[in-house]
Amino acid sequence: MVEVVIPNDMWEEDLEGVIVTWIYKTGATVSEGDVLCEVMVEKSQSDLLAPATGILTIIEDAEAVVKRGQVIGRIE
Amino acid sequence: MSSERTLTVARAGREAVMWEMQNDPSVFMLGEDVFAFGGVFGTADGLGEMFGPDRILDTPISETGFIGLATGAAMAGMRPIVELAFVDFIGVCYNAIVNLAAKHYYLSNGQVKVPMVLMLGSGGGYNNGAQHSQSLLASLAHMPGSVVVTPSNAYDAKGLMHSAIRSDDFVIYSGQKKVAGVGMLGTPIKTSMSVVPDEPYTIPFGVANIVQEGTDLTMVGVSWTVHQCIEAAERLQSEHNISVEIIDPRTVVPLDRDAIFDSVKKTGKLLVADEDYQSFGFTGEVIASVVERDPSVLSCAPVRVANPDLNIPYSRPMELRVLPTADRIVEESKKMLGL
Repeated sequence: MVEVVIPNDMWEEDLEGVIVTWIYKTGATVSEGDVLCEVMVEKSQSDLLAPATGILTIIEDAEAVVKRGQVIGRIE
Repeated sequence: MSSERTLTVARAGREAVMWEMQNDPSVFMLGEDVFAFGGVFGTADGLGEMFGPDRILDTPISETGFIGLATGAAMAGMRPIVELAFVDFIGVCYNAIVNLAAKHYYLSNGQVKVPMVLMLGSGGGYNNGAQHSQSLLASLAHMPGSVVVTPSNAYDAKGLMHSAIRSDDFVIYSGQKKVAGVGMLGTPIKTSMSVVPDEPYTIPFGVANIVQEGTDLTMVGVSWTVHQCIEAAERLQSEHNISVEIIDPRTVVPLDRDAIFDSVKKTGKLLVADEDYQSFGFTGEVIASVVERDPSVLSCAPVRVANPDLNIPYSRPMELRVLPTADRIVEESKKMLGL
């Protein structure tokens, strides 16, 4: 099992971000490097890539407020 | 093999641009903040990094200059995609659009083509004031010599972008900003997101999409108002058992008048929703295309739900009264149906 984590270098300061949208649903098969979701902080949007290949489980849904280092899903 | 993807309009359109740029060296993009920032509404996100500053060109704030430049490049055999993030500022480059891009094919007796795509951000609903919220759809669709594309969802956005880039015509690709699904304008509209295939595909110009079939009332919407119609139709169905047919023309030029007429012939009632100023606009054009053919298909007077010819207020409650929201569409539908 690999956790899907908001990387610590996704944004610089200790701000809060928000998940704009998930491209895959829970139960989807994803491949390492696929864009999993879009995350926004301070009007700037970034793509979060799949860290592994497997079946996705979403923990934090779209619209959730997230911090750097937070686990937002897992891939098994 | 990954599962199917649900994309936003901005991402789906961008995917088409990316594919065309990878496969056709004559395609390039230019506009304000497209290279370094990725486009104000995400239209070029990641493209600068992928294709470099020679193919993704940041321009100064000089729309007349760079839209003229793109027109010239298209005439010389390139396939430029030029972005104007806010249609509100079309006034400063309207001459380049109306008298150059839209005219050269005609004036040269078909010897010079202008295979250019002009991407525009349009519309309101996010409190950006009177100079950053307009639709101005009629001002684009009124002139001859261009195709006007108005995608409402991600699947159409990708297919229409492939068609637009490959077309030898001058294509205006008008994207409603709230429909783009960019995070800074709030959560993407659910019905604007769709499952989008990885591979490229085209959607022909002038072929409407019947969003849902119905028997009591036809609604025609454009881009953002398609989603307002969907929401209104759900409420009319659940609260009053009214069956609504929704038509999304997908391109307003050429306009699929046959699909609209056939639907009204079936339902007998027509409501048109558009964000642009009502007078001399898209709503009247759609109604005319039915009435000119056969007014007897209508069982009651058709209805327009548009901006009531007012400058768009900054204040949220006031802006919501001016926009053709689902609330207004439901209200007007109920009057029409005697409910």
